[in-house]
Amino acid sequence: MMTEEPVFSLLGTSAGLFEAPGHLMTLPTQQRIWSLAKVAQAWPEVREAVPGMNNLMLSFKTPPRRVDELEQRLLQAWREVSPLELGGRLIELPVTYGGDAGPHMADVVAHTGLSVDEIVELHIAPVYPVYALGSHPGYCYLGGMDARIATPRRKVPVLSIPGGAVSIGGSQTGVSASTGPSGWNTIGSSPMEFFHPDRDPPVLLQHGDSIRFRVERIIR
Amino acid sequence: MTDPTLDWTQQISGWLAGTDIELLELRGPGTRLRLKRNGSIRSNGSDDTVQNGTAAGSSAQVVRAGSVGVLLHAHPLRREPLVRPGDAVRAGQALALLQLGAVLLAVAAPRDGVVKRLLAAHGSTVGYGTPLVELE
Amino acid sequence: MIEILTVGALTTVQDLGRLGALRWGVGTAGAMDPMALAAGNLLLGNERGSAAIEVQVYPFRVRFTHDGAFAVTGADCAATLDGLPVLPWSAHRVRAGQELAFSVPQAGGRWRASRAYLCLPGGVDVPEVLHSRSTQLRGAFGGFEGRPLRRGDVLRSAASGAEFIASDIGLLPPALAMPLERDGCTAIRALPAAEYGRFTSASCVGFWRNEWKVTPHSDRYGFRLAGEALQRAAPMEMRSHGIVPGVVQVPPDGQPIVQMRDAQPSGGYPKFATVIEADLWRLGQAPIGSRVRFIETTWDEALAAQAELEAWLVEAERLVGLHRNSRGTA
Repeated sequence: MMTEEPVFSLLGTSAGLFEAPGHLMTLPTQQRIWSLAKVAQAWPEVREAVPGMNNLMLSFKTPPRRVDELEQRLLQAWREVSPLELGGRLIELPVTYGGDAGPHMADVVAHTGLSVDEIVELHIAPVYPVYALGSHPGYCYLGGMDARIATPRRKVPVLSIPGGAVSIGGSQTGVSASTGPSGWNTIGSSPMEFFHPDRDPPVLLQHGDSIRFRVERIIR
Repeated sequence: MTDPTLDWTQQISGWLAGTDIELLELRGPGTRLRLKRNGSIRSNGSDDTVQNGTAAGSSAQVVRAGSVGVLLHAHPLRREPLVRPGDAVRAGQALALLQLGAVLLAVAAPRDGVVKRLLAAHGSTVGYGTPLVELE
Repeated sequence: MIEILTVGALTTVQDLGRLGALRWGVGTAGAMDPMALAAGNLLLGNERGSAAIEVQVYPFRVRFTHDGAFAVTGADCAATLDGLPVLPWSAHRVRAGQELAFSVPQAGGRWRASRAYLCLPGGVDVPEVLHSRSTQLRGAFGGFEGRPLRRGDVLRSAASGAEFIASDIGLLPPALAMPLERDGCTAIRALPAAEYGRFTSASCVGFWRNEWKVTPHSDRYGFRLAGEALQRAAPMEMRSHGIVPGVVQVPPDGQPIVQMRDAQPSGGYPKFATVIEADLWRLGQAPIGSRVRFIETTWDEALAAQAELEAWLVEAERLVGLHRNSRGTA
């Protein structure tokens, strides 16, 4: 939901959701969300402050007695935070594009009118900031994809795509961290391990880090 | 120790099994014998009303409540009673339940036997020592 | 120790869920009926949140390889031990070699439920991963080797059960102690969510008034409900945001999907309402094909419902402890 004012809503009694204002999703807003997360993480009723795409979910350790009080505190903090700097790490992911590694490359070609090489060139050009983690263990929501290769989510999701699948869904791109269903268009595959439960932290990347894609191979 | 009545009724039960008779009831002064087709034997030495909690048959035993509580004939999740008069039961088998708030205590058969009758009504509040079930 | 003899799909080791890992994209998992899991643990004298086995497909059969104890709670699955009936929501001693079996829950009882729980002394002994023993299916970690149970699996209990005193104790299920029904259907309390006001007023009225059928596409990930379609007042474009179990999402076809324990921790569909945490167990037990109704509640009522569950658990633990040496017979 996009408005001129931030909006706070409840997710039952387990969590609350803060949504930053604005019709466009932007990196500076996301950087302020990261700062807000840092502030809220220290509050006694908050178990986790989890950034989403220009929004923040607060999972409750114990539900606050007065929701309006928490909302006011959150709005006040939002007014005061400044953007958290992108520091973090830059990880380069080797990707095999097309062929069996990218079963939906043809759909992206058909939708965009671009060739495989053009699509790959536009996909590897940006540095993608990790906006947030979610969806499944270790999965990174990335920003910064070139709008020219945007391709709508599939009408019928695929029941199972492997971990490492590099995909485009609408105006976003991402890399699957484990086997599971997906409605995105898979254009390539990367061998990187994004999550291991025995590591501390268990994830390869966190919000504020960045990714670049590198061509390992293009299968035409 | 054999019970001649039991031997005789078992023989009649055997004969009944070869017929399509569901229930045979014999009455006499102070005696009533009911034989059901499925093999369970119901036998009352007196009428159904409880006189003093004991009945004919030297091996009868009265199972008493070990606590206060509400007596339940069936588990609250089920509609079927745990036991019916005439049922053969094993030592340890739950005959009824005593409810105290959230807890349900099983009223267990102290030995193998046959349920003669349930002595307290379903839903009644009982006290320590209240007779609950008569076993043969 | 138990050996799995017969097991259906998606039988998993669960506890009360994995908390604190949302920041890494890890959802909570955990028992679909946490009250049943906690009650089974209390009957054995375990910590409430000890790991147990959640069964949702039947039949289920195990053999105890050592003397010990067990508790069975959740749906009444006509449990038998060596063929002899075991009462629902009760705990028992067991000898090496004995076999415990669960059958399909029947419709004729006083509570239609679908998931049964087998608790062991000290809980099922599997490693803790990210502070929980729940099975995380996507990513394959936690629980028993990160996967559903298979025939031949051997599971250990964290304690021997030698201290368990046979006491013929059972618990009255919360479904009967704290019933919630409307017009013959299981009822579930929910709070409106962010996009509630973006649906037509007819939809907002209809959601609370109508019956919703639990379709066969309902499982630990989410319950797909069928009923009168919920219609948007205007098109909505959503950004990915964090979600929790209980969130009622509405895809374009207007048929709601309630996110359950294995749901993704983030989503992009409009949110109509969220089932309150205190009632998730009621929905989690609703069998496929059953009908549910939603009750609009308030924040304060939702907190009170949570407190009611806590009070039931505290009282159950107290009474079980008090009666541990008792029998129903004098």
